[in-house]
Amino acid sequence: MKKNFKLYTAILSIGVLTGCAPDMDGDFQAEKGTADFSTYIAVGNSLTAGYADGGLYLEGQQVAFPNLIAEQLASVGGGEFTSPFFSSEQENGSGYLQLIALDQGNPVTEPVTDKLALRGQNDQGGPLYTKHLEPIQNLGVPGMRLDLAMVPGVGSTLGNPFFERLLPDEVASATRYIDFAAGHDHTFFSFWLGNNDVLGYATNGAVSRPDDPTTRLISVPEFEGAYRTFIEALTVKSQKGVVATIPDVTAVPFFNTVTTALLNAAVEEASGGQANTVYIATKTGAREASTDDLFILTFPSDLLAQPNQQGIPYGLHPANPIEDHYVLDSDEVKEVAARVKQLNAKIMEIAEENDLAVADVYAFLNKVKTGYVYNGIAISSAYITGNAFSLDGIHLTPIGNAIVANLFIDAINKQYKADVPKIDITSYRGIKYPNN
Amino acid sequence: MKQLLLSLFLLSPALIWAQGSQVNTQSQKAVGMAGAGSALFIDESSIVYNPGALVKMDHNAVQIGGSAIMYRSAFREAGSADVHHTKFQISPPFGAYAVFGPKGSWWKAGIGVYTPFGGAVDWGRDWPGRYSLTHLSMRAIYIQPTLSFKITDEFSVGGGFVYNIGLVDLGRALPVFHPDGTAGQATLKGTGTGMGYNIGVHYNLADQFSLSLNYRSQVTTTLEGGDASFDVPSALASSFPNGKFDAELPLPASFNIGLAFPISERVDLALDGSFIGYSIYKELAFDYHTNTPVLEDTRSIKKYENAFSGKAGINYEVNDKLDLRVGAGYVYTPVPAKYVYPETPDNNRMMAAGGLTYRFSPNWSMSAAYVFQKILKRTTTNAETQLRGSYETNIHAPGLSVSYAW
Repeated sequence: MKKNFKLYTAILSIGVLTGCAPDMDGDFQAEKGTADFSTYIAVGNSLTAGYADGGLYLEGQQVAFPNLIAEQLASVGGGEFTSPFFSSEQENGSGYLQLIALDQGNPVTEPVTDKLALRGQNDQGGPLYTKHLEPIQNLGVPGMRLDLAMVPGVGSTLGNPFFERLLPDEVASATRYIDFAAGHDHTFFSFWLGNNDVLGYATNGAVSRPDDPTTRLISVPEFEGAYRTFIEALTVKSQKGVVATIPDVTAVPFFNTVTTALLNAAVEEASGGQANTVYIATKTGAREASTDDLFILTFPSDLLAQPNQQGIPYGLHPANPIEDHYVLDSDEVKEVAARVKQLNAKIMEIAEENDLAVADVYAFLNKVKTGYVYNGIAISSAYITGNAFSLDGIHLTPIGNAIVANLFIDAINKQYKADVPKIDITSYRGIKYPNN
Repeated sequence: MKQLLLSLFLLSPALIWAQGSQVNTQSQKAVGMAGAGSALFIDESSIVYNPGALVKMDHNAVQIGGSAIMYRSAFREAGSADVHHTKFQISPPFGAYAVFGPKGSWWKAGIGVYTPFGGAVDWGRDWPGRYSLTHLSMRAIYIQPTLSFKITDEFSVGGGFVYNIGLVDLGRALPVFHPDGTAGQATLKGTGTGMGYNIGVHYNLADQFSLSLNYRSQVTTTLEGGDASFDVPSALASSFPNGKFDAELPLPASFNIGLAFPISERVDLALDGSFIGYSIYKELAFDYHTNTPVLEDTRSIKKYENAFSGKAGINYEVNDKLDLRVGAGYVYTPVPAKYVYPETPDNNRMMAAGGLTYRFSPNWSMSAAYVFQKILKRTTTNAETQLRGSYETNIHAPGLSVSYAW
């Protein structure tokens, strides 16, 4: 009997000792591979800075993808990572859009106007933001372009206010973004510039304004020259890093939400069936809009049908077509798409020459355009309901940022044989809906 | 101008009485043998394990028993360093049986009230699978009046009618966000009923061996008018109206074989095998009474395969008052990899158990048992949610039952 009792106790103990709860803690081993993550800097534009919903504000800055990456790098030797956060009293930064109501399914947005970080205006009435001069590692500047990174003046009060706030007054006008970025000591970097060099042109309906350098379409040789120079500056001590491809600008809700079909239907309803087509101005003359023409999200639809001096309703007749800068017509779409592909080929080439990881955001956003399910969330490029893009139709929601951060981490892990732990994207939100 | 079509992808809930929730604890003697013993033990719990054996009881009895099932699951998403655990909860399945009939007669009657399926998992709202499941609590209560008849001294048959009451409480997060950034939540609760039967045949050759064949039919619980409630921002309330839902939850049939024979004067060996017909889960239909473009009725494919389990146990009669027993078993999962859901993170499992029976007096006896089950670690990508990661589960189930015989 004693023998059996011992046997019985032994079996029972084995059962209890193999753990009340399963132990999976040792399953993942964080690994830095061949990379040195001790000082990571993020170089780039609005996406790097955490710009969302049409503005730069504290909540968006906190979930910018480089900040999420930096949190994950902590377990593989990553160090401090600070950003030019707005203070909590000025947490709404440059102001941003909020979804205040769904009017029978139509979204109504309104800008936030309190707790802004405005310190004044420049000579042309443009905003100037509260300066942030403490040391930072997130160097993202909304609106920064590759061509503008190579010239002085962009940091002046008449240039880019998001860059101006990071620079001490005495050097602001003379500092070029490339020198600002490369001047930061680093062992690892992320670099994502080039989007605005195409997007600035595309969001203006492929109309390049001579007085506004942000609406230029960059040429391939100029892009390649600037990209190489910048990467050389960032890898001067053989630093490793990750770069990203430029998205197909037509994969974002900014271009996919106001469609020709919707406008035609609206016109038909408003005119009581008399008119059902809209006309657009293209570089080869006015014509009927087709399904291949893309209207920008911010197209002011109340312009439609307004009669001009000759009494011709706006947009409803070839003599008074919807202006070129509101539309990316089918030829312009092709032009922009082709340019993006050419620039991405250069990015891949330069990255390979410098042993840099590449996050293929171009391919990823095309997958989002088709739509897919990620951990039970339907992700698509649909405006608002797609969960990926914020209210401005171009920049990302926190979920979008988390997914892009994981994309960068995958690229880093692959290139440098590392095992940086990935992010649980379900911890982040999509668009906030109102309670009315 | 910009019509916002809320084409939200809303998954069908996986309301399944699956392998994960089947921890058979209807008899503490059987628990102590890891589920073996349907041919060996002839007592009140034979109402469940083999109604055919009931008539061979040499007395009448009532029994009440229960277990404290502690189901501990863990999940780690692929590529992540974080391990998520379910909250600690105890599910108390129970069994109550009464058997009566004239002594030495050719018939006996009995009634049993027991819970063959049930369990609770609470992953909470902070884990990667929150849009699939946050919590699930399910219980099936069977009420089974039973008759058993002696055909010969060795051969007996029996059967019972099963009336089932099923309870479900399920919650999951919704990917729509409140002004404070928190996600919405859907909660589904309901009670349903169903019917089935349980039949068995028992044969024993003197004291040389016993054979038990038992078939428990499929029981489809029809849940009508369950409550679906949604916590979403008010702007979306019209797309997620609180309302009623209907669903069908099939509980699978099982065919169980048991064999028992003595291996020495005081020691018996029992070997049991079960075939569970999970292939009835081809498609699960879910019907919301009020449909919106977001809340559409769903038919979701589950495609479970049939499952098999094998168990063996040894019972040692220490003396007149005390029996000791141990057992072990292995269960094959019916769930194909891509249909593993957080409700039932299933894989093959190993079982080890021990127990005892103590007879205080000719009338009173008690049985106690402890079974440990390990659902082996499994790495899967779920076909619907694309959630990719590893699950592992430990189940501990101590239990106790008391019988009064006359």
